[in-house]
Amino acid sequence: MTTARASDREGPTDAAEVEALIPVLRRVVRARVGSHPQAEDLVQETLARVLAARERIEPGMLEPYAIATARNVVASLWRQGDRAVRNAHRLFDPGRPDGADDVVIATEQTAAVGRALAQLSEDERRLLLAHEVTGQDTRSLAEAADSTAGAVAARLKRIRARLRVEYLLALDDVEPPSDRCRAVLVALSGADRRRQDELDTERHLLECPLCARLSEPLVERGPVRSDEAHVPIAEAADIVTARHRARELAARAGFDGVDLTLIATAVSEMARNIVRFADNGEVSVRLLDRPRRGIRVIVRDTGPGIPDVDRALQDGYSTDEGLGLGLPGARRLMDEFLVESSQGNGTTVKMTKWIKRG
Amino acid sequence: MNTGPALVSILRQGSTLVASIHTALNDTEMVRFQQDLIRQIGEHRARGVIIDVAALDVLDSFASRTLRAVAEMARLRGASTVVVGIQPEVAYAMVELGTGGDALTTALDLEDGLALLADLGQSGPARG
Amino acid sequence: MAEDTQTGEDPSGVPATHLLPQLVAHLREHRARLSDEWASRIRDTHLLEAMTPQEMVAETTAVYDNYVEVLETGSVEALQHYARDLSERIIPRGVETHEVVGIVLLLRDVLARSLFEKYEGDFGLLNQVLDAYEPAANRIANTVAVSFVEERERVIRQQQDAIRELSTPVLPVRERLLILPIIGVLDSDRARQLTGQLLTGIRTHRAKVVVMDITGAPEVDETVANHLVRTVDASRLMGASVIITGLSPTIAQTLVTIGVDLSKMNTIGDLQGGLEEAERLLGYTVTRKEPSTSS
Repeated sequence: MTTARASDREGPTDAAEVEALIPVLRRVVRARVGSHPQAEDLVQETLARVLAARERIEPGMLEPYAIATARNVVASLWRQGDRAVRNAHRLFDPGRPDGADDVVIATEQTAAVGRALAQLSEDERRLLLAHEVTGQDTRSLAEAADSTAGAVAARLKRIRARLRVEYLLALDDVEPPSDRCRAVLVALSGADRRRQDELDTERHLLECPLCARLSEPLVERGPVRSDEAHVPIAEAADIVTARHRARELAARAGFDGVDLTLIATAVSEMARNIVRFADNGEVSVRLLDRPRRGIRVIVRDTGPGIPDVDRALQDGYSTDEGLGLGLPGARRLMDEFLVESSQGNGTTVKMTKWIKRG
Repeated sequence: MNTGPALVSILRQGSTLVASIHTALNDTEMVRFQQDLIRQIGEHRARGVIIDVAALDVLDSFASRTLRAVAEMARLRGASTVVVGIQPEVAYAMVELGTGGDALTTALDLEDGLALLADLGQSGPARG
Repeated sequence: MAEDTQTGEDPSGVPATHLLPQLVAHLREHRARLSDEWASRIRDTHLLEAMTPQEMVAETTAVYDNYVEVLETGSVEALQHYARDLSERIIPRGVETHEVVGIVLLLRDVLARSLFEKYEGDFGLLNQVLDAYEPAANRIANTVAVSFVEERERVIRQQQDAIRELSTPVLPVRERLLILPIIGVLDSDRARQLTGQLLTGIRTHRAKVVVMDITGAPEVDETVANHLVRTVDASRLMGASVIITGLSPTIAQTLVTIGVDLSKMNTIGDLQGGLEEAERLLGYTVTRKEPSTSS
């Protein structure tokens, strides 16, 4: 049955014959990538290659050729995945895939990277790919764009920060609930402290569970900071933890014994307000270098807010029976004390203490 | 007699109870301590109570309030309370915080506290 | 043209630094004469009069050697070290900055003159030698002056701290009694420090009574008055009673104005009365304790 064909080399392989390969190819591909969403694409890709090469295929070799091609296609997907992983060290670091499950994850990640890239502008995408994939250095990119290497590097940093955020959103297949979410995530992703402060990202994370979850890998990426601490406050035992952490950091900054006690006491007072009035909140402590050495404690909660801040700051405002907020007392313990609160939107207390001269 | 793994200890010495707080207590533990102590004052018909807070590096408003409440409840049961061992930094922080008023009877350490209780026993409720 | 040795310092393009070895050799050769001359110039200008002639010889010779070494090596490190050391030795004796700068400039001058003498026959060469010498000499003068000033600032800081400590002494008079005389203007920083010292003192000396004498404090503003009140309260939390003596009518007025209940403070007119009251308080405790325990 093949002799006729053998002499008929110029004639195209019958398309129907190629189509008949589909079940075999599906088996081959699935055996390698499982029920991966891209499996069908891989089959189609194999068919396309076989069709393109059919003139060169020896008669009777169609099926083996197709199977070999399918293997290659799968392997090249892996290589792509690998490359994505290799390049992803700046995007995200999932580690190198090993088993079949990992391959699936890796391909999902590749797809997510694809969707994330689609969120960038044409310009941004071109710049990023030129640098990350083609390997063009910032200087030559700067020349091409009539800019400086530093500016290009900064731009790349911002683009990567955005890409990481878009990637996480794509991977989760979610659209953030508020306008602020993206801005907050990008600020965290870029480890941009100034922007984070502007946006008060920590308060947002307290209020937005999605961002709180998504931000975890972003925050972990950043350098581990020994000059700050975050203590979530939900129950009475957390108060003790918060004041211990604050005390430790303050001791490292060089505060003396009296100040350490004042700081720990102020933290204790404010953390207790969270437990009593808000259920959920956070104490964050950060050491300051400028304008001189000091410590800043920010206490945030998602509670009902203080109806009359000025009154709550007055001495004697229902401090009996433990109904007071302890704001005036805590204020005396610190050098600077700022309360922001609006009903229904929680309260933020920022308090700072500076190291005394000498 | 103790609440939990030796966070506090309450020992009886004659008609005096000596309660020592060994480590920072959270609010729940503080309240449990208060309840235990009051119960034991009743059980032992104690005439004097010493609360040793030398191990505490913070006495915030809640802790001071609890101590005052203990003293008040003890008084209602006929016992005088002396808080001893407040550290210099803690004393300073308490007055800054505004919880350092004169509602608490205090002494430097256990020894002075016992002497003060002896005085109070002989000269009535006035402070020595 | 010795282009490769050019340092770029000389605008004429003539290399000058290669003359330094020659210069150094000259200064070494005439070390005794030049350092003597320097010392006598110092005496003539009445600098460093706090030093004995022997000390003067020792120090000037040492500075001279360091000076030459800087010219030779270009490194000021050793000189810096020496200058700090020297400053540490002479600052307590009241040597002023202008004296130190003065003697270094004199040395610069003495050496420059000797160079004039040596090279007066060759004006061109003299110019080159001076070009090599002057920047190095300026650098030396600068190093010595800066080292001295830095050292002086350090000493001043140290003294200020010491004075601060001294101005709020906590004096244990007898067992369990402290006196805290407050002398001079109390600002908030000092008031805070005073409280810290007093409270630590109470624990260290196991004080039961503190006499705080404010006769020597000319003025007390509202912040400081509040602070004093808190100090009294904090002392009480540690089990110590505070007696305030030397309360002037003005300060009493301030205290009343800010709402201090003076009846809750134990105030006694003068220190003598305060001490008597303190003894009464302590005596009262002692007689009470004697029959029951020996404690």
